[in-house]
Amino acid sequence: MLLKNTYNEFIKILSKPRSYLGIGALTLLVGIIIFAMKADGRSIISFVTSSFEQTLTFNGDVLNGNLIAFIILQMLIVHIPLLVALVTGDLISGEAAMGTIRMLATKPISRTNIVLSKFIAGAMYTLFLTLWLGFFALFVSRQIFGTGDLIVLNSDGLVILQDADVLWRFGLGFCVAFLALLTVSTLSIALSAFAENSIGPIVSTMAIIILFTIIGSLDVTVFDNIKPFLFTTHMASWRSFFEDPVPFSSIIQSIIILVVHNIVLVAIAVYKFNKKDITS
Amino acid sequence: MKKFFILLIISIQFGGIAQEANDILSKVVTKLNTVNDYTVTATVKANVPMIKILPSKATIYFKQKDKFKVVSKGIVILPKQGFTEINTFLANKKSYLAVAGDTTKISGVLTKLITVIPNGESSDIILAKLWIDTKRSVIMKSQITTKSNGSVATTYSYGDNVTYGLPSQLVFEIDVKAFKLPKSVAADINKSTVEKKTKPNNKGVITISLTDYKVNTGLSDAVFTKKK
Amino acid sequence: MESETIIEVENLAKRFGTFEAVKDVSFSVNRGDVFGFLGPNGAGKSTTIRCLLSLITPDAGSIKLFGKSFKTDRSAILSNIGSIIEKPDFYKYLSAQKNLEIFARVSGAEVSKKEIHEMLEFVGLGDRGKHKLGGFSHGMKQRLGIAQTLLHKPDLIILDEPTTGLDPQGIVEIRNLILRLKNEQNKTILLSSHQLSEIELIANRMVIINQGRSIVGGSVSDLLNTQELLVRIEVDNARATAELVQKVYPEAMLKINSDSELELTFVKELVPELARLLVSNNMNVHAIEPTRKLEDYFMKIIQA
Repeated sequence: MLLKNTYNEFIKILSKPRSYLGIGALTLLVGIIIFAMKADGRSIISFVTSSFEQTLTFNGDVLNGNLIAFIILQMLIVHIPLLVALVTGDLISGEAAMGTIRMLATKPISRTNIVLSKFIAGAMYTLFLTLWLGFFALFVSRQIFGTGDLIVLNSDGLVILQDADVLWRFGLGFCVAFLALLTVSTLSIALSAFAENSIGPIVSTMAIIILFTIIGSLDVTVFDNIKPFLFTTHMASWRSFFEDPVPFSSIIQSIIILVVHNIVLVAIAVYKFNKKDITS
Repeated sequence: MKKFFILLIISIQFGGIAQEANDILSKVVTKLNTVNDYTVTATVKANVPMIKILPSKATIYFKQKDKFKVVSKGIVILPKQGFTEINTFLANKKSYLAVAGDTTKISGVLTKLITVIPNGESSDIILAKLWIDTKRSVIMKSQITTKSNGSVATTYSYGDNVTYGLPSQLVFEIDVKAFKLPKSVAADINKSTVEKKTKPNNKGVITISLTDYKVNTGLSDAVFTKKK
Repeated sequence: MESETIIEVENLAKRFGTFEAVKDVSFSVNRGDVFGFLGPNGAGKSTTIRCLLSLITPDAGSIKLFGKSFKTDRSAILSNIGSIIEKPDFYKYLSAQKNLEIFARVSGAEVSKKEIHEMLEFVGLGDRGKHKLGGFSHGMKQRLGIAQTLLHKPDLIILDEPTTGLDPQGIVEIRNLILRLKNEQNKTILLSSHQLSEIELIANRMVIINQGRSIVGGSVSDLLNTQELLVRIEVDNARATAELVQKVYPEAMLKINSDSELELTFVKELVPELARLLVSNNMNVHAIEPTRKLEDYFMKIIQA
């Protein structure tokens, strides 16, 4: 029954116009960035390398597809959570508002399976968005700008990664980025279990992300103990794959925190939905 | 009278010193001028604070008198000046005053220090110190101070192409005090602002190994045309 | 032969915060019943029905369907129930066919696309299968709701206000459908409705609840026949007719509505005799009819 209802959830997601809103917005955003980089990408590079260029020259194809892909990832990682929450935040509460949750809950499928199937479908949608982003950011950029070594500006300086050494970093980076976005999806679905309308969970999810991000960036001692456990602290872990050497222990720590978040949020949603009286 | 003789001796000495410097430089320039063009494979190792990069390969093209091009598949970091500027500068004898100094051993080779001071204000080079192997008429070490790039010290090593005055290795020591990271979206927002407070190293070293020289092959000007 | 008990509710109670929606409801429904579930607004009907469908967890009491409990056999129970609670809600962005496919997939039965199409034909939506729900009228959605209810061939059908918002033709169609399901397929139907006349026509058993408690329940005919029939008579001279009836049947309770109409509470078996009496006394009788008997019974119970 879980598989059948998961299939149902796919059909519902694929049929909703808002699902394509996210994909369309992403495509447009990436297209605009690629266009801008094609038109004047050199000035962005100069911004990063200007202080080094007093005594050094950077020869070779600095403005290449790998760099464009990295910049796209950097710029959009703030916006993609909204596109995810837009669809996943609606999965339970949207049906409550529509009344169809009542119809579904009278079927011989357990409430746990209803929630789990929505999580799975939400995860698949998130995966698709991530892959779509990856395809556009990496594949299309490399087609337009070619490949080459990747310059990355980290907090401790420039790292220049060789072309042959870049793809696996993007691959693993996207995996971790997907896990971060999955946490957003899971959070919005969990909030959706508490609400009877679509907009509440979506706005709440973004509010939580913004709040946690602010807490994470404040250099205040009182927050130091909780920062490592906020999922937003680990949402940019994908970037660590572009350091040299790659801090695998730190990345694994982030993965564990994010996985735990996902498990806890799923458990909360399942518990809440099982206990809920469906009066709508 | 006595003063006159002292002045005369000083000017003869100075003139002698200057003449000696010019002769030494002349030989170096003559040697360098035997190279009309060359192609060489460069392996660049950069050990610069705030930059992490693996050794990278490039192909360097040169053609008299100042055509220079670096072609690489990947990104290669090179010092902004130190390849051809000094050669071009030295070629015009009237643009500078050269003064011979002490002898010093560098890499086990006896060298003569030649200090080169530009005559006019228009040159980017403010001061150039060259330690020259007078036997082989090649530069063993240079320290060039420019208006735009500060001071760069370069150590030269030679191999089979010493007859052309072409080095097999260059080691550049550059000043990195001016390096600053821009605070932008490119920065890692999730890292705490101050993690390591180690004293920064002010110098960076770039080692360029030059192999497979192809000298005077008749390089076309088209090689130096910028491809889009 | 004792009929199998399909629904058994005992001492059901449910509170929402401080509000007691259901205090003490008990009733039972047998196989083959068309069971009327009646009560005024706010009596606790919807809450009770939602408890029957495990949409709401009761605070007290027990519910058994097909002799099973939700705690142990939820899936088995629900796979044998089809229901419409209030208005049927569907996915507006999907077609009628797709909506039925969605619900069929989780109904516990294998339902083919052919069967879905046949069901659409059955409820009169055969040519609207590919149309999105956004363009459907209330009546069409109600019919689609019936289709969704029957798709997996359940033994028990629970309908909560199925004729709300329907035109008279729609109401008749629903009534006829319910009778067909009962008579041809021996379905058990629990029907909650404000249309008391409809209940009176099709239900064989019923329960009336009020303020969260079951008040009275049992066979419709038994319950209604313990009370006398309310008869409306249309004649030329109501006063003269009233005097005649009062003389012959002094215990009958009469009420003159107008010069030509009177009502009286009367024993059902004596109605033919009453008709003969009026005609034989040259009274021009234009109509003799029982009027809204269940409604009166209902109002009496509720107001008691």
